[in-house]
Amino acid sequence: MKEIISLTRLFINESLGVSLFFYNQKYNKKAFYKQLFTLIIVPVALIPAFFMYVSVMTATYIGLSMINQSTVFLSIGYILATVLIIVFGVMYILSEFYFSDNMEELIPLPISQRKLIVAKFFSILVFEYIFAGLIFIPILIIYGVGQGMGPLYVLLSVFVFLTIPVLPLSLVTGVIMLIMQSASLKGRKDMLQIVFVFLGIAVIFGVQIWFTSQLGNGDEVDFQLLMNMMLTSNEGFLNVIGYVMPTSFLMAWALNKITLMSVVWVGALLAITFLSGALMVAIGERVYIKSIVSGKMIKKGKQLNSAQRSKALGKKSHRAMAVFTMDLRLLLRTPVYFFNNVSVVIIAPLCVLLSFYFIEIPPEDLQGMQDFFREMPILINYLLIAFFIFFGGTSATTATTFSREGKASWLTRMIPVTASDQIVGRTGVALLIQSLGIVFTIIAIQFFFPLALSTLVLTVILGIMGSLPILLFGLFMDMNRPLLNWDNPQKAIKNNMNVVITLFVGMAYTGLLVGVCGLLGYFVNPFLGYGLFMLISFGISIVFYKVISNRLEVEFLNFES
Amino acid sequence: MLKLEHISKTYGNKNEKAVDDVSFEVHPGEIFGFVGPNGAGKTTTIKMIVSLLAPNSGKITINGIDNQKDILGAKKQFSYVPDTPELFEKIKGIEYLKFMADVFQVPIAERRERIEKYLDIFEIKNAVNDPIGSFSHGMKQKLALVGALIHDPQVFILDEPMVGLDPKASFELKKIMRDHCARGRSVFFSTHVLDVAEKICDRIAIIKKGKIIEVGTMAEIREKAGSQESLENIFLELTE
Ligand SMILES: Nc1ncnc2c1ncn2[C@@H]1O[C@H](COP(=O)(O)OP(=O)(O)O)[C@@H](O)[C@H]1O
Ligand SMILES: [Mg+2]
Repeated sequence: MKEIISLTRLFINESLGVSLFFYNQKYNKKAFYKQLFTLIIVPVALIPAFFMYVSVMTATYIGLSMINQSTVFLSIGYILATVLIIVFGVMYILSEFYFSDNMEELIPLPISQRKLIVAKFFSILVFEYIFAGLIFIPILIIYGVGQGMGPLYVLLSVFVFLTIPVLPLSLVTGVIMLIMQSASLKGRKDMLQIVFVFLGIAVIFGVQIWFTSQLGNGDEVDFQLLMNMMLTSNEGFLNVIGYVMPTSFLMAWALNKITLMSVVWVGALLAITFLSGALMVAIGERVYIKSIVSGKMIKKGKQLNSAQRSKALGKKSHRAMAVFTMDLRLLLRTPVYFFNNVSVVIIAPLCVLLSFYFIEIPPEDLQGMQDFFREMPILINYLLIAFFIFFGGTSATTATTFSREGKASWLTRMIPVTASDQIVGRTGVALLIQSLGIVFTIIAIQFFFPLALSTLVLTVILGIMGSLPILLFGLFMDMNRPLLNWDNPQKAIKNNMNVVITLFVGMAYTGLLVGVCGLLGYFVNPFLGYGLFMLISFGISIVFYKVISNRLEVEFLNFES
Repeated sequence: MLKLEHISKTYGNKNEKAVDDVSFEVHPGEIFGFVGPNGAGKTTTIKMIVSLLAPNSGKITINGIDNQKDILGAKKQFSYVPDTPELFEKIKGIEYLKFMADVFQVPIAERRERIEKYLDIFEIKNAVNDPIGSFSHGMKQKLALVGALIHDPQVFILDEPMVGLDPKASFELKKIMRDHCARGRSVFFSTHVLDVAEKICDRIAIIKKGKIIEVGTMAEIREKAGSQESLENIFLELTE
């Protein structure tokens, strides 16, 4: 146990950079204050969001009690927490188990596989408990206070809370381990492995949802029915949720009304949780270390003869093209980078497709929606534009473009490439990824909701133009404060404030721009709205472009100090 | 060809200069050695020459171009191989070489010819289609050398070039350096291994705690020290 705890602490320390923090406190004040600032500013920035969440949840509880549905409340919170834990957990699990380099040093040591796996899992759990706490504890408190619950409720809630992240995380971890195992066995390249994970998870969810919809009450579960059920019968909605997440039954039975049986249900919940953890460890012991070891082998290319080498040296490319190609290759070939910056263009359209598919809008409703669209083209257009900007703005590709190069960035700074070639090459990569996202989304939407060509042209152009300022802002941030001194590529992104800053600034900016131009377009004149949109996007882009091209060469001199 | 005038640099700690009022000049056709013990300020000086760091004061001209006034112009004049070449691990050797040829805009025929020649000399032809992540330290260094030689630079700048190389490669590198200078270009490299400097350098500068303490040919430095001792002993005396 002592070993597990110290390993867990090691992993947490590593992913947070605690040691570096204290090292900086002593030896590098500037870096230390930067980190300290981040440490204070991020939670402070999140406080309003948290309060908003708590008030929304309180309102939901009050609303539910008014229609006599308060028992649904805990289930909603439970599902919400579980879903969010899974969504963010996939990321944590992949980076802790597969993208971190510490296993290379740990595998040769005489530590049992089981301890390594448990410790890695614990180090993820610690973060997930904080996360789950922020989401679920307010729910437990609101319900407890609302229902005037006693001390037994408090005690049982503590146990229920303890089980919350463990069950979904251990199941997802087990699944990911199995997928990664079969991916690495077949000698897949890095990028394909990740795609594999996503496909695997998507398939599992798909099957699950399909299964649920089959189980439903004979006929299709449609949204209308779901609403009706929720409003008319107490148990109906719970059942629907229950099919997706069976343990939510146990939780609801245990906590909705405190009886003697509650203790039994909590006991069952604990037992199931423990079993799921044990299952994950058992899977891990079979496959984890093995796939790590075989995955670390770098696949060599075949040898080239002189003609092939000549061909590979190719034609002379423009410098911007050379930068573009290099940046794109690094992005596609480094799993963490791919995962963070590229995967969203696959996931988001997939979500669109799945939600259209499973919600199953009845034809007459679809017709209604299309009619509505015809009357409100502006709303839909701006919605699409915002969605397209989302791909460019949120993937933060440019915000880590120098950081991703890490210690090899000396090359970028040493070569004679003009600032504008750097900007074009690096922004080009982000635009390419964004365009892919846009194309996939359009394809997904087109299945259910055919859009006119003019709409497509308009929204794509405005979507790309609208994201340009955000992309350049990201580049500007990374030029000013790149994170280069990492030993593990995931730190270039995970510990990088540029990502968060670009994300927040980008979202706020998009909201503002779309809001203002949309209102202008709706109330005054559509063309005025689109015109203003273009003008602002173009103007800000030009300003950032100028600033970066004037500063970049000089900033390169400051990267190391 | 390469001229440093009163270059100084301090890192975080303001009282301690890593490089202190350094001046010297490397002439065309010259192999110039930059000699000093560990931590003397060699790497710091080189980083300022190749525009990876800004000096606090002083002026550096490369082939007549001030590297603070025309950063880009100066960058076209040299190529640089750092002491530990950190390269993009996920990129194949050949892709790296194409990248270097493109950013220096080397014409097709020349890039092919030079790459074939240097890949042969350093014996990494068979590995060139592998990801750099699979290269050993020495192989990375060799690849960085090939990449630096693609555009036949006016000034060839190397930081501790012999440290990771095997004897054959370091022999070949010395030959390349001499060829380079025979064509009127210059080589500037740092080392803490005195044998190397003594054997191949036309002139050397000795740096100690950020300050230049001697500049000149081997004979001149010996004369000043007033002895027939090997450079080794003079160096030890000077840097004590
Ligand atoms: N990034 C840095 N931050 C702070 N001090 C540094 C840094 N790099 C080098 N130094 C200090 O500058 C001095 C010169 O270092 P360096 O130029 O690397 O020496 P050399 O290459 O001759 O061994 C040393 O005292 C070293 O500790
Ligand atoms: Mg050095």
